[in-house]
Amino acid sequence: MEFAEVAAGKVVSTSAVFLMMTIVLLAVSRRVSTAILVFGLQSAIITAQVAGTAFLESSREAWVVAGLIFAFKVLGIPYAFFWLVQKLKTSRDVQAVTSPAQSVFLVVLMIFVSYAVVRSYAFGIRVPEDALAAAVALILTGAYLMVSRKKALIQMLGLLVLENGIFLAALTTTFGMPLIIEMGILFDVVIGLLLMGIFAFRIRDTFEHLDVSRLRKLRG
Amino acid sequence: MSTALAILQALFLVLAAPLVRGAVGRLKARFQRRQGASVWRPYSDLIKLFQKEDLIPPTASWIFRSAPRIVFAVIVTAAAFLPVFQTTALAGHRGDFILFVYLLAIGRFFLMLGAMDGGSGFGGMGASREALVSTMAEGPLLLAFVAVSIVAHRPAIAGIVEWTVGQNFFDISAVHILAFTTLGIVSLAEAGRMPVDNPTTHLELTMIHEGMVLEYSGPSLALVEWANAIKLNVLLSLLIALFVPWGIATQLTWQALVLALGSYAVKLLLLAVLLAGIESVIAKLRMYLVPDFLGVATALSTLAVIFTMIAKR
Amino acid sequence: MLLVLPLVIPLAAAVLVLTFRDRETANRAALIFCLAESAAIGSLVWRVHTGGNLEGTYLRADGLTSFFLVNIALISILSLSYATGYLRHMGEGRFASPRWFYALVNMFLFTMVGVCLSANLGVLWIMMEATTLASALLVGFYNTEGAVEAGWKYLVVCTVGIAFALFGTIVFYLAAVKAGMSQTSALDWLGLLAGVSQRRFDPNLVRLAFVFILAGYGTKVGFVPMHSWLPDAHAEAPTPVSAMLSAILLNCAMYALMRYEILVSRAVGKDFPGELLVFFGLASIVVAGLLILVQRDLKRMLAYSSVEHMGMIAIGMGLGGALGFLGALLHTFNHSVAKSLLFFGAGSVRHKFGTLRMDRVSGMGRSAPLTTAMLAVGALAIVGMPPFSLFVSEFTILSESFSQSRYVVGAVFLIVLSIVFGGFVHHFLHMACGAAQKTPPEQDFTAAEYAVMFTAGALLLCFGVRIPWSFTALLRDAVSVLQ
Repeated sequence: MEFAEVAAGKVVSTSAVFLMMTIVLLAVSRRVSTAILVFGLQSAIITAQVAGTAFLESSREAWVVAGLIFAFKVLGIPYAFFWLVQKLKTSRDVQAVTSPAQSVFLVVLMIFVSYAVVRSYAFGIRVPEDALAAAVALILTGAYLMVSRKKALIQMLGLLVLENGIFLAALTTTFGMPLIIEMGILFDVVIGLLLMGIFAFRIRDTFEHLDVSRLRKLRG
Repeated sequence: MSTALAILQALFLVLAAPLVRGAVGRLKARFQRRQGASVWRPYSDLIKLFQKEDLIPPTASWIFRSAPRIVFAVIVTAAAFLPVFQTTALAGHRGDFILFVYLLAIGRFFLMLGAMDGGSGFGGMGASREALVSTMAEGPLLLAFVAVSIVAHRPAIAGIVEWTVGQNFFDISAVHILAFTTLGIVSLAEAGRMPVDNPTTHLELTMIHEGMVLEYSGPSLALVEWANAIKLNVLLSLLIALFVPWGIATQLTWQALVLALGSYAVKLLLLAVLLAGIESVIAKLRMYLVPDFLGVATALSTLAVIFTMIAKR
Repeated sequence: MLLVLPLVIPLAAAVLVLTFRDRETANRAALIFCLAESAAIGSLVWRVHTGGNLEGTYLRADGLTSFFLVNIALISILSLSYATGYLRHMGEGRFASPRWFYALVNMFLFTMVGVCLSANLGVLWIMMEATTLASALLVGFYNTEGAVEAGWKYLVVCTVGIAFALFGTIVFYLAAVKAGMSQTSALDWLGLLAGVSQRRFDPNLVRLAFVFILAGYGTKVGFVPMHSWLPDAHAEAPTPVSAMLSAILLNCAMYALMRYEILVSRAVGKDFPGELLVFFGLASIVVAGLLILVQRDLKRMLAYSSVEHMGMIAIGMGLGGALGFLGALLHTFNHSVAKSLLFFGAGSVRHKFGTLRMDRVSGMGRSAPLTTAMLAVGALAIVGMPPFSLFVSEFTILSESFSQSRYVVGAVFLIVLSIVFGGFVHHFLHMACGAAQKTPPEQDFTAAEYAVMFTAGALLLCFGVRIPWSFTALLRDAVSVLQ
């Protein structure tokens, strides 16, 4: 079983790099379906990380959390999103405010900033710097996606990426919170997405478009 | 012994290039559920072209005639820097990767000049497009080299290969992953493959490289086509050598050499499959989107260089 | 058992109300459940007052909890009674019928009671996020363009804010675990209360956590600059829901901030959280106060007034001391009563005149004298005139700021109060005086609506003159938790 231990350790330590690549891919994607697939990939990497941690710490709770994340974020949510895209019948474009190259540069800048921020805190806590920096970069990217994309669906995706980053930060620093809290958080996220989906339908029905930057009736 | 092997390496890169091109073409055909031409077809094409007559447009100057020769010579020289079966190459010195990048640039420069000298409109159009693509591709290429070289603490390509062989595969570092992706994207642009350029197109308005060689015929065309194939082979071998060189012969024994040959062939085949897959799945980008695509490569290579400074590995 | 009952009743009500098809039965059922809930809360509060705190694994109740629960109970009775009359013109749309309304309101109540009863920082977060989710559909209830936009903005902005609060919770949890607490008890309130005094929590981590908590839960409270969702949501929601949002939800978010302030001030001293709270409070007061002057829609103006008052409460909390905490807590209660009254009056205006645009309403004094009187009481109360209760709480906060020699804070407070007074008087006089417009068809009002407004007005007057002893006891228990 030593090989399994080594493999688990390697998975946990190298997944940060792959997460950063998914961040870049998210910034680059021009179609909604690409973004959803990248999000699924990202969640799969995080699941692998949780599973590796569960194996190393021999914690049954972490295995349950890994299973939940896999079920919801890798399978359930992307499937729901694809269903939503099909039902809403909107254009496939992501409607970004910036071009892909500009987005990638901004995201690279954010990765740099997250490393700089983590540097000052990481030696206080003995955590792998890469993973925590990846978590902060995910949070910043999620916020960036919500701000720079005009399509309501991508804003929802940005929120999910943000939540991924927060979860990863919790995982790397404290190996996760008590199980019941994790389940509650996941439940909240799912219900939140459900409600946003309902609102997306309502926006489409009342406004005939799904471009949230054009929701400007209430001002002042 | 090792010099002989180095010469053999360079010759191999040059002579096996049409085979690689044929293999990629065949794999693409298989992806598209066709039979496809034989993998030896580019060889018979080259032989046929060498036997034909070289037609020169009346308005062309000495540039038109010498450009294919210069391009061929330059790319063969670049091939001499690459370790394939052993960890040293025919040529190599401190900072040779910069020379490598600019050898490619010289070849490109003369190809563009020759295209414009040919006098056809498509030549000029291809040359201007090639100028755009290569401008954007040069930065990431150089930065990726720099990043890998910093991590390996070696200033030469052969040195980098030697260092990488000594590392454990599972100690993947962020720099290497990013540099690999960057070089992959740049290779697609430099070698004129999808999604930057379609090598099998017959619509002149969509050509970049093909447009530049439209006016050549006979041996000149053979040399230019061969040079393009060698460029693809060199770039693929560069990817293998810099990032996955394990299997390469560190001592000069027969077993090591056989292992090196075998592992190189397997890796090249895998890359060819990957390339064929990418070409079959991704559509060609419109011209104004190509700078975005290469901008992604630039951003990744910048990130790779930043990582050499701030990441521990 | 006593702890679980106030949670079970609204949940059961939400499910059961959906089964009643008839509007009248739904109304009556909702009222009955509301009274049952208030009874449950009342018995819980009595038990805590006489017998001491109630503890459990995930739920607990102490003086502070009781205070806010009483607030919830009172406002929910007022709002639901008002709603039974106000909704009589609502059709039977797919999700826009009275029984869906009551179901959603009960879910909303369930989540807010959950916030107050939580014993665990994680449960607090979960319930806080649940309040956003439960009220989003209520905000977008009317399904008009404005309502859908307001609902979307509310959902997205508050969820992002709460996500940041989650990050703050995690950082705080990390600080607790690093200080040596076990993973299972590091989110537990009692354990943390003991832990922050006895162990050494890393001050950097605690400060970082508080910043994120303030940014996150502060979004729900409506601090400037995270307030962008508030005017839209409170203006576009149905009037009873607006009253509940302004009066109860903002208070629950403030409750969460209070809990964290207690922990953080014990870990790193009172100055850091106090200064941040005062800063956000001042920013909110100034920006909201100035924006009140340029409002044209009545409910939007009331929403900005809520932002302003939450700023005052934050200042009271930030200043601290016996008077600061007392003033802040009293103000949460007084503001909720006054704001409910004002929103109910706005509902009347909407019914009588068909619009909420203040520049299109005039001559209200002649055509709707009772509504005008109620609105006058509410407006005078909300700007802090004696003898109404808000004067007492604002005076308390001001005296605390002057006794701490924070003259700038006090001066800004007073200046903004005067500006807001001017704004409200201007708008109100424009609506009340002038030529009476042709009276629109809606003339009759149910007794319920008037009764509710009378009760609110009477409360304001009573509490302004003399706070009943039972309430003072409740207040004292709550303040003791804070100190």
